[in-house]
Amino acid sequence: MTEPHPLLKVKDVTKSYFEDGKEFKILDLIRFELAEQDFVCVVGPSGSGKSTLLRILVGLEKPTSGEVLFEGQPIRADNPQVAMVFQSFALFPWLTVTQNVELGLEAQNVPLPARQARARKFIDAVGLTGFENAFPRELSGGMKQRVGIARALAIEPLLLCMDEPFSSLDPLTAQNLRDEILQLWSDPQLPPKAVLMVTHSIEEAVYLADRVIVLSSRPGRMVAELVIDLPRPRNRKEPEFYGWVDEIYSLIV
Amino acid sequence: MRGRRRALRFVAGILVFAGIVAAIASPQAALKALQLPLFALFSTSRMVAAYLIGLVFAIAYGHTAATNRRAALIMLPILDVLQSIPILAFFPAALLFFVVTFQGSAIGIEFAVVFLIFTSMAWNMAFGVYESLTTIPQDLEAAGSSFGLTGWLRFRLLEFPAAIPKLVYNSILSWTNGWFFLVASEVFQVGSSKFARPGLGAFIADAGRNGDVASIAVGLGVLAAVVLALDFFVWRPLSVWSERFRMDTASGRELAKVPRYEPFRWMPRFPAVRRTIIARAHPATQAYHRASVRLDRAYASHPNVVRDVRVVDLGLFVIVLLLVVTTGLIGLGQLFLRPLPPEAVGLPWAALLSFSRLLLSYGIALGWTIPVAVVLGESERVSRYLTPALEIFASLPATALLPVILGFSLAVVGSTGGAAQLAAILIGLFSMQWYLLFNLVAGVRSIPQDLREAARSFGLRGRPYWRRLLLPAMTPSLLTGSITAWGAGWNALIVSEYIEYAQRPYTVTGLGSLINQAVLVTGDTEVLLLTILTMIVVVLAMNKLLWRPLLKRAAIRYRLEV
Ligand SMILES: Nc1ncnc2c1ncn2[C@@H]1O[C@H](COP(=O)(O)OP(=O)(O)O)[C@@H](O)[C@H]1O
Ligand SMILES: [Mg+2]
Repeated sequence: MTEPHPLLKVKDVTKSYFEDGKEFKILDLIRFELAEQDFVCVVGPSGSGKSTLLRILVGLEKPTSGEVLFEGQPIRADNPQVAMVFQSFALFPWLTVTQNVELGLEAQNVPLPARQARARKFIDAVGLTGFENAFPRELSGGMKQRVGIARALAIEPLLLCMDEPFSSLDPLTAQNLRDEILQLWSDPQLPPKAVLMVTHSIEEAVYLADRVIVLSSRPGRMVAELVIDLPRPRNRKEPEFYGWVDEIYSLIV
Repeated sequence: MRGRRRALRFVAGILVFAGIVAAIASPQAALKALQLPLFALFSTSRMVAAYLIGLVFAIAYGHTAATNRRAALIMLPILDVLQSIPILAFFPAALLFFVVTFQGSAIGIEFAVVFLIFTSMAWNMAFGVYESLTTIPQDLEAAGSSFGLTGWLRFRLLEFPAAIPKLVYNSILSWTNGWFFLVASEVFQVGSSKFARPGLGAFIADAGRNGDVASIAVGLGVLAAVVLALDFFVWRPLSVWSERFRMDTASGRELAKVPRYEPFRWMPRFPAVRRTIIARAHPATQAYHRASVRLDRAYASHPNVVRDVRVVDLGLFVIVLLLVVTTGLIGLGQLFLRPLPPEAVGLPWAALLSFSRLLLSYGIALGWTIPVAVVLGESERVSRYLTPALEIFASLPATALLPVILGFSLAVVGSTGGAAQLAAILIGLFSMQWYLLFNLVAGVRSIPQDLREAARSFGLRGRPYWRRLLLPAMTPSLLTGSITAWGAGWNALIVSEYIEYAQRPYTVTGLGSLINQAVLVTGDTEVLLLTILTMIVVVLAMNKLLWRPLLKRAAIRYRLEV
């Protein structure tokens, strides 16, 4: 087997905000790498800077120091190889499901027929067939997030970044979507090749990730980087699963 | 909707009736009234022209201020001042400028009128665009950036749609302001020269000057009909349609049905008319889609076009602004180099009188609008019956009511001076009350149902209910309504303190009449400038010392977080 192709390099990223001349450090010396086939979760309590970290990793914000490289190049927000899924869904309320899913393709000037075909494929893949012409407002939370996922997958990214994508959904819907994300990730025919997810739920991280990065609070510091070697599909009731959850829990507290 | 149709029918009825009365009373007036549709068309065209210019300006200005933080530092204060100073006071200067530039031709006057209407429409729309763009949720912006929306595409798919609800809301406000100014500007006298362009405003003003009651009635009827028809066929549907562009509320749980994207589906009534329009408009909508695709492509090959348009637009604005400011400054410099004219002594007194009259108008307006707003806001049934009637009255700009109000005042008060006083106060009242009323009704309606139910379940009734729920909940809308109302009041001063009715002037002491006297009679630019200056100082002081602090406190204390 060959070494997996490295995608993302995070080099000593630090982020501070300045208010009234005082410095508030939010992220301190974050460093890790992510390769194809990886599923990495960043866990930390609320306010530990997870969202800020993710925004820096996808190029939406600049780090105060350090750098983020994607395939050797400094990351740019509009990199079509990286797609983003938001906790608040961030769907355009004035666009239909199809138009939302086509968003990234439109920006890439993909011709209309190809765009529509691709949108249909991913709307089907997330199970929203029949809702192509609905507006986000008309959908339930779970369906909205399916649109968010389809929109991210439609640009066929190598890396899918998600910021607490299931935190505002009810537990049952969230669990269904987790399994679907795992399926998409392990399917070699479908994007993405790698997933980076931010969450405050330790259980979710242990359930999904093969690597978990644990952040402490204020400033967000890497406490540990753990390789979760549980076999898949994972069972939350098994003692090994609990062992991991307890270990991460003790690291955060 | 049914109520509005009733209102339209009611106005149509009044029109027919007034027409018959006019025809019987004076055949001459009836003959003149035949020209009214044409006048209405002229006036509306001026409004449309000013509105379109204002719209483009507002988008460019608001967008630049929202996306360029350094530019915003000067752009926002400028906008703030422009929005609060009584622009009508500058009209004589603007008119002379355009008339001289175009060497007295009618085009110059048209430009001046359109320019004045523009100045009454543009600022609040620009603020609306600015506010919309700065309140786009962070995640939505991030989604736009991470999926590669830039430049034109970002504007078309993200920024413009996000601005639509506030643009539509402010457009309605702008049109109300615009009618007020249109009526005041179609006929204008500077010294002995009279400038007039044919239109509804000129028609009503002339009728007033001649004391021709029948013509006044018919003119007002046509004006109301035009305003209400535009409201019914343009603004209501647009408001409904703009709901689609609202950001989801924080809860986001409700599954509201959004009307499907059928073209012109938002036209509420008259299915036959709608079908015809859809059929007729089909090539146009197709063309629109093709054009937007072509625009996308054109933008891809000329990425700087949007920026260039904006630069040209804002550049023009800066040039005009600089011109106005430098002439103003030169004028001021000359003013203070010489000894002040003797009239300057009277300015504080005139300012105090004008202010007191406005305060009285404001007090009366508050006195009736607060209880009525509570009733309208709380009772769906009363609102259904009363709102259309109120909207008919509100559709008439205070400037158009000058002759009616003066006629009424003369009938009530015997003395000429008393009648002029009463008229000035009533015109202030009419220009202020609707802003208060409609803002307050919206405030009452915005009280969340659970708060009402909580109040009821704790047995709050009568005075405690007002004190603990209604009045605090109405405070923010009372403030925004008051600010807009006072803005309108200061503008109204300029027409209300010097009214020509039936060939003779009715005046009271005040800033507005000083301005008019300087423009019409003495031609004393020094006094004119000083008066305008006094007025601006008073208005800005009131904004800075009264409204701004109150708004700030209200925003913290009385916001209804849902
Ligand atoms: N623009 C900003 N200015 C100042 N502080 C900020 C800003 N953005 C985030 N923060 C602060 O950074 C911390 C981390 O925020 P965030 O990344 O949202 O945390 P998490 O997603 O882990 O809950 C919070 O305490 C927040 O108040
Ligand atoms: Mg977060």
